[in-house]
Amino acid sequence: MSITIEHLNKQFGSYRALNDINLEVNSGELIALLGPSGCGKTSLLRIIGGLDVADSGSLLFHGEDVQQRDARERNVGFVFQHYALFRRMTVFENVAFGLRVKPKKERPSDAEIKRRVHELLSLVQLDYLADRYPAQLSGGQRQRIALARALAVEPKILLLDEPFGALDAQVRKELRRWLRRLHDELHITSIFVTHDQEEALEVADRVVVMNKGVIEQVGTPDEIYATPASPFVYQFIGNVNLFHSRDHASWTGQHGDAVAYTRPHDIDISHVQQDATALPVEVKLVRAIGSVVRVEVSTQNSSELIEIELSRERFELAPLANGDKVFIRPRQIRVFETGAQHELSAA
Amino acid sequence: MAQFKAHSVLPGFNLALGYTLLYLSLIVLVPLSALFFKTATLGWGGFWEVASSDRVLSALRVTFVTSCAAAVVNVVFGLIVAWVLVRYRFFGKRVVDALVDLPFALPTAVAGITLATLYAPNGWIGQYFAEYDIKIAYTPLGIVVALTFIGLPFVVRTVQPVLEDVEAEVEEAAASLGAGRWAVFRRVIFPALYPALLTGFALAFARAIGEYGSVIFIAGNMPYISEIAPLLIVAKLEQYDYAGATAIAVLMLLISFGFLLTINALQWWVSRRGVR
Repeated sequence: MSITIEHLNKQFGSYRALNDINLEVNSGELIALLGPSGCGKTSLLRIIGGLDVADSGSLLFHGEDVQQRDARERNVGFVFQHYALFRRMTVFENVAFGLRVKPKKERPSDAEIKRRVHELLSLVQLDYLADRYPAQLSGGQRQRIALARALAVEPKILLLDEPFGALDAQVRKELRRWLRRLHDELHITSIFVTHDQEEALEVADRVVVMNKGVIEQVGTPDEIYATPASPFVYQFIGNVNLFHSRDHASWTGQHGDAVAYTRPHDIDISHVQQDATALPVEVKLVRAIGSVVRVEVSTQNSSELIEIELSRERFELAPLANGDKVFIRPRQIRVFETGAQHELSAA
Repeated sequence: MAQFKAHSVLPGFNLALGYTLLYLSLIVLVPLSALFFKTATLGWGGFWEVASSDRVLSALRVTFVTSCAAAVVNVVFGLIVAWVLVRYRFFGKRVVDALVDLPFALPTAVAGITLATLYAPNGWIGQYFAEYDIKIAYTPLGIVVALTFIGLPFVVRTVQPVLEDVEAEVEEAAASLGAGRWAVFRRVIFPALYPALLTGFALAFARAIGEYGSVIFIAGNMPYISEIAPLLIVAKLEQYDYAGATAIAVLMLLISFGFLLTINALQWWVSRRGVR
């Protein structure tokens, strides 16, 4: 089921949580709402799920306005960061809950409920835990049960609020791959909120980057990483080096006041000066981290560090040591002025 | 001794346990056993005579029935009060919260006199009931009113923290799964509150059984109708019938003990399901 959001606004007291949000989510898509805490991503999710009400704007499911509909009538599955499982029910009863509270006419028979619950529990690979209580499960298991519970009522839309936020790094990684596979199997339109860019880029079909109540950019993970639409997106996603026009006019062009951004792996290092735009720097630190080598350099008259990433292969072709005097030149650089933006490709 | 004590990093086990036992003996055990010793002077025959007298039996009935009724009323309305105090924000909430404790603080005799005045047929509240020929003060109904008054804080104060512990998220999860308000309450909130409600009930009930000060002013104290067991004990004391008085006390003790045991067993059974 597709979701259309138009001119959505939400205010909490004097704090503007959402400011004119427009978003189109296609049927069967897996979308990530990505942003720092307080950017409004959770508010947006809660409004879509019917747990909060927008001040103005429209929200359509498959072309149909659902703003007047209660959470229980929206047919939306919601997964919470802290699981929100029913503590006094077994895992089985947790998952069966949505089926048991259906009105009498639609309620499946006990045998049918039993079959469906076990089917869902095997889908999340936790069938053997049916008789346990939530307190006896690990965080990752609880979240999978929460997901099974949400899926029990066959929702048309699945909303996940920082689903892996409370889990440790290893389990997180495992679960997000598993979520991706699950989505490929079920094709439910899904939106998940996260503040972890790696998670968003790895799992989602499209990423919505939010900041201070507005959408900064919507795009595929690749687009978001390769062509950030704003300085915020540039800085929020991945590492970045900043160059101010007053110091590096040759790179930013002839603009009055502008900032240029370049990724650490988009900078070339050379021992000889190839052209006039190359910047003479001194190597301050060389550190091999796994498959990449991180080099920190600084210019002679400023203390600001520029971060460069080289592949191990490239580093071995032309090794560097602390104190080396070298020249750097960005392969790709992006300049943002006040308001307008220009893209320059050096070389 | 060693086999009773598991090794613990906490110091002072022997001292603390010794103190606990001494304290409990002095405060609880010695007076209670004195009660039984004094009763024993009656012999079985004498005890049975007191225990089976109509007046004692009806007083016990009045005491336990009104206490139970008051505790039930408190469970229902105490839950509502706790709910309002936990779930909503409103002007004057702190004042309302403080008001709940008032029955703890007020001398019970003052409460009894006030309630008797209010609920008398010509009192502020009693007059409206009088129109329908309902008498509250000086009837068992009046006893229930007084016992409800003194028992309220017990229920509110036991339920409140537990209710605060039920996250709003859990309710939201239930709602998004299609549960209506009633289903959310019955299936999610109530099971979480059940043990606390039972405790609140037990406390209010136990408190009501022993209540004397507020009840005697509003009860009218008519033998066989609105005379409570504690009053009967006092009456016997005034007649220097100490053994008779303790016999009633022992009876009350045994019945109360039976009730509390049942409630505790129920609680144990409830909390065994669903580990927190």
